[in-house]
Amino acid sequence: MAVVEKLKEKENRPGWIASINPWVLKIKNNPERVAFVLHRITGLLMALIIMAHIYVTGTPARVGWDAWAEEIAKAHGISAVTLYFFFFAGIAWYHGLNGIRLLLVEFFGVCIGKPEKPKPPYISPSLKACQRKLLYLVFILWAILWAATGYILFAS
Amino acid sequence: MGSGSKKLLLQYTTAILLIFLLTWHLVIRVPALRGVSTFAETLASEEIYHEITAYGALLLLFAYTVLLHAFNGLRNILLEWTDGKYNALITGTIIILFFVFAGLATYTVVGITPPPASG
Repeated sequence: MAVVEKLKEKENRPGWIASINPWVLKIKNNPERVAFVLHRITGLLMALIIMAHIYVTGTPARVGWDAWAEEIAKAHGISAVTLYFFFFAGIAWYHGLNGIRLLLVEFFGVCIGKPEKPKPPYISPSLKACQRKLLYLVFILWAILWAATGYILFAS
Repeated sequence: MGSGSKKLLLQYTTAILLIFLLTWHLVIRVPALRGVSTFAETLASEEIYHEITAYGALLLLFAYTVLLHAFNGLRNILLEWTDGKYNALITGTIIILFFVFAGLATYTVVGITPPPASG
């Protein structure tokens, strides 16, 4: 009996790997879930990169301008510095755009819709046109802005 | 530390502030808007020194806001992953990290000296 209880508990709390595992999440036709997982992953990466970013941008005060100039000299074409900025920009764009979507829906109540009776076939309001459009808009803008950032970083 | 709903409100409030602050932070790195031709030129020592001295307060507001948002979010993720087992440890570490990086950001602004070319 205790084993069954333990298994049930495990089913409800599958652990942190399952929270980012697309096979466990069953993401087919579930872009909301994809958006959630991406927001988590980009949020986690952003927190780590922000710490590195603050440390690196402190170079002129900590080490001196020569060390700064040395780093900036590498920010041309495809280099470790521009790739770092490109990667950082990609996760920042997604986290920011999806964050604006979440603010609009959760904080300002945009696209929530009017209360209705759950008549079959019931479709959750979050899966209906307005919220789905916002979600797809996030993905489209993400691709455009990331590509534009890549152009600025690598073409110059 | 306050209730969970207050932390969620903090997350939303900092997110709204960050929309404006991050947009400004990114826009000033666009070469065409700065009248230069390459991204690297926007990071030149003189440019960075001018930004830090002219917009130091705004940069610090940005750093503190982004750190609050990031560490509050990180704490939330870590607490969910660990089922809230290490609440005190995670919250304590997050608070220490916040002050370390907020201090580093503050030092970057107040400890800056002019670059050799303009000094």
